[in-house]
Amino acid sequence: MRRPAALALCLALAPPAGADTVTVFAAASLKESLDAVTHAFEIVARDKVTVSYAASNALARQIENGAPADVFISADKDWVDYLERRGLVAPGSRRNLLGNELVLVAPAESRVQLRLARGAPVAAALGAKRVALANPDAVPAGKYAKAAFTTLGIWPSVEHKVAAADNVRAALALVARGEAALGVVYRSDAMAEPNVRVVDTFPAGSYPPIVYSAVILKRSTTPAAAALVDELASPRAMVTFRRFGFRAP
Amino acid sequence: MPTHDELQALALSLKVAAAGLAASLPPAIAIAFVLARKDFRGKTLFDAIVHLPLVLPPVVVGYALLILMGTQGPVGSVLEKLGIVLVFRWTGAALAAAIMGFPLLVRAIRLSIEAVDPRLELAARTLGASKTRVFFTVTLPLSMAGLATGALLAFARALGEFGATITFVSNIPGETRTLPLAIYTFTQVPGGEAAALRLSVLSVLLSLGALAVSEWMIRRRHA
Repeated sequence: MRRPAALALCLALAPPAGADTVTVFAAASLKESLDAVTHAFEIVARDKVTVSYAASNALARQIENGAPADVFISADKDWVDYLERRGLVAPGSRRNLLGNELVLVAPAESRVQLRLARGAPVAAALGAKRVALANPDAVPAGKYAKAAFTTLGIWPSVEHKVAAADNVRAALALVARGEAALGVVYRSDAMAEPNVRVVDTFPAGSYPPIVYSAVILKRSTTPAAAALVDELASPRAMVTFRRFGFRAP
Repeated sequence: MPTHDELQALALSLKVAAAGLAASLPPAIAIAFVLARKDFRGKTLFDAIVHLPLVLPPVVVGYALLILMGTQGPVGSVLEKLGIVLVFRWTGAALAAAIMGFPLLVRAIRLSIEAVDPRLELAARTLGASKTRVFFTVTLPLSMAGLATGALLAFARALGEFGATITFVSNIPGETRTLPLAIYTFTQVPGGEAAALRLSVLSVLLSLGALAVSEWMIRRRHA
């Protein structure tokens, strides 16, 4: 009797088949939606997913310096290209997952009205206050925002009124707290934060298309990484991502 | 050679640290005196509160500042009506730097005041000097060594302040982008390695300089 009991105990304690841990480095804007998708994946696949959210550029830098990530999801193509050039990406693993839109937001109680056309009076609407962006020199959301303002001929007038945040969610928080009068974030960010309201959407041609790409990193050894990326690219995941304001790429 | 942006960050850092130190000296001397010479209920708690910035994560201090001193905060909204805005300004960075260096300043001054022989003060009193006069002509001059050491430590701490600054006043070139924030920003941008390294070396030299000066002051005192 003792042996079967011991066997049963072993089976109960042993991790289920394929119980790996996948470490994902993901763009800060994916927080709520990716949490929902990976949670569903964890239940079905029995693998554990750990996600570290930050600005894509910060994550790319960490990966370059040996951070133990299996999957990287960037909010723009540049930082994936950057890692590919350094030979850190598993060949053929790149998938374009999602699209997004760029919007101008204000604190929920703000009454500001603006149409984002050429030469829109954004600087005048700011007054003495600032417009919160993710760092326009490095963070994807900030680079898109700078591109959009530049196309619309507004950048020279707002350049000196920028409060550069560490990532898009930090910029969002500055607007939500009412410390910045305006902010530029993704539509999905604006939907995640009840304390901001969308003033207007940037015209589609004013900035490069926003594409979130996922790659598996060369250093990854777990097969669960590929399974997770397949799941992220599935129609089922897309339903969830759409609910949080993302679009198909 | 450092570029214009790098020199700007250096100059801003010195300005922020100096302003923070200047603003925190008077209250630090007062609090150090109270802690050294007075006994009162809740002294331990008061002492702990003064030391809080030393042990708290800097980002907590920055977040607390944003909530209290932001234009939407209970203190910041009143200040805004008086025309004082701290958030996103270099003055806000100076406030953050002052708070982070405050415990170091108080600690050093307090130890010096405690080391002053109370009989000297008493002698001055018997010769007819008022309490204020005794403080400024006897106690304070005898505490100069501690004051100088504390000031340098607080200044060095202010130069290195990162977490509270970026949380409270963001990262604005020429306004709130001090040396540590500039270094951080350069590490985020492709091709920024050389600039980040230059500024890091500059930081090391500055800190070594501050330590050397404080060491020299202590030696001169004991010589």
